[in-house]
Amino acid sequence: MALFEVFQTTFFLTLLSLRTYQSEVLAERVPLTPVSLKVSTNSARQSLHLQWTVQNLPYHQELKMVFQIQISRIETSNVIWVGNYSTTVKWNQVLHWSWESELPLECATHFVRIKSVVDDARFPEPNFWSNWSSWEEVSGKETSTERLKKPCKVTTPLSVQDSLGQDILFVFPKDKLVEEGANVTICYISRNIQNNVSCYWEGKQIYGEQLDPHVSVFHLSSVPFIRKTGADMYCEVSQGNVSTSIKGIVLFVSKVLEEPKDFSCETRDFKTLHCTWDPGVDTALGWSKQPSQSYTLFESFSGEKKLCTHQNWCNWQITQDSQETYNFTLIAENYLRKRSVNILFNLTHQVYPMNPFSVNFENVNATNAIMTWKVYSVKNNFTYLCQIEVYCEGKMKQQYNVSIKMNGEYFLSDLEPFTEYMARVRCAGASHFWKWSQWSGQNFTTLEAAPSEAPDVWRNVNSEPGSHIVTLFWKPLSKLHANGKILFYNVVVENLDKPSKSELHSVPAPAKSTKLTLDRHSYEIWVTANNSVGASPASIIVISADPENQEVEEERIADTEGRFSLSWKPQPGDVVGYVVDWCDHPQYTLCDLQWKNVGPNATSTVISTDAFRPGVRYNFRIYGLSTKRIACLLEKKTGYSQELAPSDNPHMLVDKLTSHSFTLSWKYYSTESQPGFIQGYHVYLKSKARQCHPRFERAVLTDGSECCKYKIDNPEEKALIVDNLKPKSVYEIFVTPFTSAGEGPNATFTKVTTPDEHSSMLIYILLPMSFCVLLIMIGCYLKSQWIKETCYPDIPDPYKSSILSLIKFKEKPHLTIMNVSDCIPDAIEVVSKPEGTKIQFRKSLTETELTKPNYLYLLPTEKNHSGPVPFICFENLTYNQATSDSGSCGHVPVPMKPPPSQLGLMISPENVKKALGKNYMNSLGEISAGGTNLNYVSQLASPMSGDKDSLPTNPVEPSNCSEYKRQMAVPLCLASPPLTENSSLSSITLLNPGEHYR
Amino acid sequence: MKVLAAGVVPLLLVLHWRHGAGSPLPITPVNATCAIRHPCHNNLMNQIRSQLAQLNGSANALFILYYTAQGEPFPNNLDKLCGPNVTDFPPFHANGTEKARLVELYRIVVYLGTALGNITRDQKILNPSALSLHSKLNTTADILRGLLSNVLCRLCSKYHVAHVDVTYGPDTSGKDVFQKKKLGCQLLGKYKQIIGMLAQAF
Repeated sequence: MALFEVFQTTFFLTLLSLRTYQSEVLAERVPLTPVSLKVSTNSARQSLHLQWTVQNLPYHQELKMVFQIQISRIETSNVIWVGNYSTTVKWNQVLHWSWESELPLECATHFVRIKSVVDDARFPEPNFWSNWSSWEEVSGKETSTERLKKPCKVTTPLSVQDSLGQDILFVFPKDKLVEEGANVTICYISRNIQNNVSCYWEGKQIYGEQLDPHVSVFHLSSVPFIRKTGADMYCEVSQGNVSTSIKGIVLFVSKVLEEPKDFSCETRDFKTLHCTWDPGVDTALGWSKQPSQSYTLFESFSGEKKLCTHQNWCNWQITQDSQETYNFTLIAENYLRKRSVNILFNLTHQVYPMNPFSVNFENVNATNAIMTWKVYSVKNNFTYLCQIEVYCEGKMKQQYNVSIKMNGEYFLSDLEPFTEYMARVRCAGASHFWKWSQWSGQNFTTLEAAPSEAPDVWRNVNSEPGSHIVTLFWKPLSKLHANGKILFYNVVVENLDKPSKSELHSVPAPAKSTKLTLDRHSYEIWVTANNSVGASPASIIVISADPENQEVEEERIADTEGRFSLSWKPQPGDVVGYVVDWCDHPQYTLCDLQWKNVGPNATSTVISTDAFRPGVRYNFRIYGLSTKRIACLLEKKTGYSQELAPSDNPHMLVDKLTSHSFTLSWKYYSTESQPGFIQGYHVYLKSKARQCHPRFERAVLTDGSECCKYKIDNPEEKALIVDNLKPKSVYEIFVTPFTSAGEGPNATFTKVTTPDEHSSMLIYILLPMSFCVLLIMIGCYLKSQWIKETCYPDIPDPYKSSILSLIKFKEKPHLTIMNVSDCIPDAIEVVSKPEGTKIQFRKSLTETELTKPNYLYLLPTEKNHSGPVPFICFENLTYNQATSDSGSCGHVPVPMKPPPSQLGLMISPENVKKALGKNYMNSLGEISAGGTNLNYVSQLASPMSGDKDSLPTNPVEPSNCSEYKRQMAVPLCLASPPLTENSSLSSITLLNPGEHYR
Repeated sequence: MKVLAAGVVPLLLVLHWRHGAGSPLPITPVNATCAIRHPCHNNLMNQIRSQLAQLNGSANALFILYYTAQGEPFPNNLDKLCGPNVTDFPPFHANGTEKARLVELYRIVVYLGTALGNITRDQKILNPSALSLHSKLNTTADILRGLLSNVLCRLCSKYHVAHVDVTYGPDTSGKDVFQKKKLGCQLLGKYKQIIGMLAQAF
């Protein structure tokens, strides 16, 4: 009750007090007017800063008031902004308020005034505004002189005078910093309104609006970021075409500050928090106008703040062990903007563990091992979740998760023997996953085990008389089945036909085959692969005593892009499987036998390896394996992985050449060793004839020339008769084989010329004739003596001469034929001549020889020969061809006068010449005068002394001068009698002209 | 005292390169003797010629490098923004005596040295990544410094000139960025022009 009374009393006292205050204020009715208004400017921010006080405010009282502010530009009547500012005013308080202008303050004069009103709930209506304060002027474009004259009411940090001096042009704002996308107003102030001012923004002219005669403004909306060193704008004053002044500004446009992204904090050791974020774009600008944005970390629970020195991370020291929850605010800030992001987290949820260490393997055997590792202890009872991965040959084989406190251990099983593994582990907080640690790993190798699978074995059997040469092949076991390093292969051979001791052949690795010589019995062969631990299961193969069936017909298979699809008829009876074998390199002696095992139910398979090459013929043999492991050849296939065109052309033979046909053959051309199945041959024939022969068709060669082509479809038909040819014509022919891939290479054509049609007939005639002539010649040679005697004896027998018939025919009774017995043998005496006369004689003789025949008189051997002296007159016809032709000599019986002196003739060249000439002339004269018909003169004997020095003084006169028409032969004994030394000289001299004759 | 007197000239030389030096300073006191710390080389004029030729050879490249680094509108408005119309640039008369020419050269080199120092300072702030420009500016300033030393040696040793009134390049420290860029460009344009003339005159 007492309490109630106390409360009531207090209430009434308070009410009384309030009423007293209200009555004081309102009773006075004094307006609360703003006074002492001062205006200052911030040129960089383009802001007006107002400060004032309120007059008549009661002492120690607070009052809510509203201030209305008016701002005019250029002149007071041009109000550009009106606004209210509400605040609680204390007694004697200086109030502050700012206003930012979009127009640089330097561009125009601004005016500010203010009034106020009480807006307090304690003082109900009616309230009224105070009077306006007087206008406060903020000058902009004042020149230096004007400003010096008039005291400045407003202080500006950078005066126009200081910065620009007496220039005639000003551009504002200077070095303004704005954010990308902002709207910017720029102005210029021209001292002289007559000037022509042009302005350019980044090199492009811009146009503004005139604020007053001296001021123009430009509104740049949404300015882009151009470069860190700012974007330039300049204006130039020109009078006529002459630029008188240039002024400009640099506008620094900043990129917009971005909010930090991916902000997070984590700890590895519960001592330090590492906070990271993506800062986004750097907003730094040149000229130190704006540095890179700063980052501050603030933790609200502890109230601590840290200025980060890096742009994308910061470390925070954990000082209180008891604090588990953190509330971080990351504040990004530059001159224009501030951004922040916040995260709240529990420390144990943000653990990024240190990497595990001491990773080891214990009790490693062929198939399992124990892996151990450790983690750093960061906090009591902190549980880690660890992940283990086991890799083999780069592939992950096993993955496990395990929870641990400090020491980790895990049993790795199902490992492969003799295999290198890599096991690694990483850990994360188990209670709340935040982030895995980095991996820590180690390699280990399991131990060897016996090979787990029998080697794949195949054989090749060559039967020889009385034995089989068996070559065993096996494939190396895969790493999976080898379980270690294969050291050797054991081959056990057991005779099935007669009991005997098995033979063991040990073949060291890495051999993949061995050769056995077996007799004609059946053998069972066991092959095992062995490593250091043991042997593999055996692979069994049986060699039959019977030779392999080679009578299987070979079948061609088509190529299908490097793969061979083989199919076969199923083997009658029980088979345990099929084997297809082939050689990867059939062209080599070591052909690299390959085989493929196929299941018993399969009747086809596809063989495909990288070893198959185009143009190589592969032969496949398909065996059926009986239950007794005996292989039986079922089928043979052959084919090409890809057929190619023939690599060479056949060597062509041309025979049976006639005038109308010939035969071409290329029988030695092998069709088996070609890079494709030979399907036939193309025979190309070129001839001058435009028309192709029957069976030939017209074709165009690669060089564009035309020819005739004949196609042979049978590859074994290796001959062609080319007929219907023209005799004595040239044909060019070329044979090339073709496969499905095309024909053989281009080669030169072989020319064949058909013979003349009649040449064979001529041969038939000429050969016998030649033979006959030959026979006659042989006969003549054998009977030459008889023929000579018969036809042309040395001394013709006038009685046998045919002249007789002529004589008889002409019936000249006064001409008689002289008997040989009547003749006295002739003799020649050669007279020696002096040397000095030789040349002269030769000369005279030469002079005469062209016109006169030379005569050699054979002198008679008998000195006392009288009367008609027969002599022989030799006429040299070579020197008297014309005369000879006229027959003047040979056909005229010459009643020869004997030469005056033979000796004299020989001694003196003149004499000789004279004598010769005379003699000749005489002869000619006699011939011409004689006019007789006698044309044959026999020899005459002329009496001649045997002593050469005793020449006859009386020249002999031939009584009957006979003259041979063509008698050229002079008996050796007569023409060249044995001479003395002197006489031989004369003889040579005399006969010298005769050299011309030969 | 001798040591002090000998150290005056180098000390004042160092003062010449003070960045932003805006008002003329006397090189030596009026009553100071013309003394230099090191003896001058015999082939001073050859060295001066060689240095002028070296500067002339690199002046155009420096000019291009500068206006390219400023970005638009400088490269495309060279005549308007980079014209060599520097009003207070020391004069040079090529037909004067060697002594007069050397004195004028001295003034020009002092002027250019301070101007180049200001440009280098400004560009390091405005274009911190334009390293090749900075390097070229520094190299040019080094050669100018050597040239000034040689000219001084020559004046002192041959003509006993102990005092030369000099003016410095404009101080840009209080100017806005555009003005700095433009002034730098104009000065380098003027430098390119005058250095060619000087190389020919010597």
